[in-house]
Amino acid sequence: MKKTLTINLGGTVYHIDEDAYILLDNYLNNLRYHFRKHEGADEIVHDMEDRIAELFNEYLHEGHQVVTIREVEAVIARMGKPEDLNDDQEEGETASERTADADPSETATRRLFRDPDDRILGGVASGWAAYLGWDPTWVRLAFILIGLFFHGFIFIYLIAWIIMPLARTATEKLQMRGEPVNVDSIGKAVTDGFERVNESIRSEKTQSVLHQLASGFARFIGGVLKIILVIIAICLVPCLLGALVVLFALALAAVGVLASVPAIFYHIMPYVDWEALGSMSGPAITFALCGLMVVALPVIGLLQLLMQSFGRQTPMSTWTKVLLILLWLIAAGYMMYSVFHTSLFLFPENTFLINN
Amino acid sequence: MRKGMLEYCILLLLHREPSYASDIILKLKEAKLIVVEGTLYPLLTRLKNDELLSYEWVESTQGPPRKYYRLTAQGEDFLAELESAWDELSDTVNHLRYKLLTTTQS
Repeated sequence: MKKTLTINLGGTVYHIDEDAYILLDNYLNNLRYHFRKHEGADEIVHDMEDRIAELFNEYLHEGHQVVTIREVEAVIARMGKPEDLNDDQEEGETASERTADADPSETATRRLFRDPDDRILGGVASGWAAYLGWDPTWVRLAFILIGLFFHGFIFIYLIAWIIMPLARTATEKLQMRGEPVNVDSIGKAVTDGFERVNESIRSEKTQSVLHQLASGFARFIGGVLKIILVIIAICLVPCLLGALVVLFALALAAVGVLASVPAIFYHIMPYVDWEALGSMSGPAITFALCGLMVVALPVIGLLQLLMQSFGRQTPMSTWTKVLLILLWLIAAGYMMYSVFHTSLFLFPENTFLINN
Repeated sequence: MRKGMLEYCILLLLHREPSYASDIILKLKEAKLIVVEGTLYPLLTRLKNDELLSYEWVESTQGPPRKYYRLTAQGEDFLAELESAWDELSDTVNHLRYKLLTTTQS
């Protein structure tokens, strides 16, 4: 006996077994991801869905009522795995990407990804566990312990979360586990993807009490952290947007003031030591720009994340992320330094009062 | 090379008669040009975006309406261009093969 679901595929209703549904859903998601850089990706996948519906019709005419996993497998074999569907238009970057991907297929080197199938917060710990070949639960416990004693680690975790890419396709999941990437293993990963989930659910029952306690603890901490993060994120969005506006105005004001004030005051008070003011303008502008960056970069990141979750934007490359984070750190560091160094930079007019 | 051929063949098929995607698949499979059916869809979408093809939704005898592809005027022009390029290429190859054949025979 199997549970069935009702799906609408290409405008026709089908009854489909639960396992067959998971497989089909997986396959369509993989297709969507594969074609994400194509023009008209939605249309391609939509057309393919229509074709799959047609094929189901063909199979179901042979007297069956329900689409089973056998039909879905046959359909996938007919339509082809995402990796088989390379269009000649994907040259340049993707081509080099592919050759880069093809190389480790022989040696089966591991790559660091976040694991989407086994995550509590961002899947960073399980990604490292897969990379190192350890048990995710112990990695998580180690993360929590390090975080308790060394608070900066939380920041490191967040950065790792941002930088480490999520393993989306079957190929990436294989690379994450260090399994060789070839046609067979990809096919296996695509078709067995759902079995792995079942396995992990089943295997939880056979784990030792200590292991269960540990993973329960990790899950609890993860849940609490998640709630805290969401609250912080919700609080931060209006603050960030407000601060962005303020800092932008500040940057404009700083530039405007510095450009116009000396010209006017020079005529009124030629005896003022304008040299000092001139020397202040550089740091003041830098400060305002740094402030702008400190606020703007997270806002851009959040916007990008939002767009991504709506599927409108492809994720940033790792190097872009690293660069932006470095930029942010430099800007933040400079701001802190100048705030501690002197508070006068913000108000360059004050310097002339003092110099007077 | 093979992909370019596939494009040419799709245009050729649609030049002869407008058809559904599934008919194109059937014919291409007969000709052993494609192995997996999914290869066709990105190509069709691209040709459509390049305005070489157009489609309309046509009711079919069974199931929901399907896309019925046909060549546009631009597509016809492009096909004629491809055709002459193909003729030229095959002439060149034939010439070389023929010459090779005669020289090895003599």
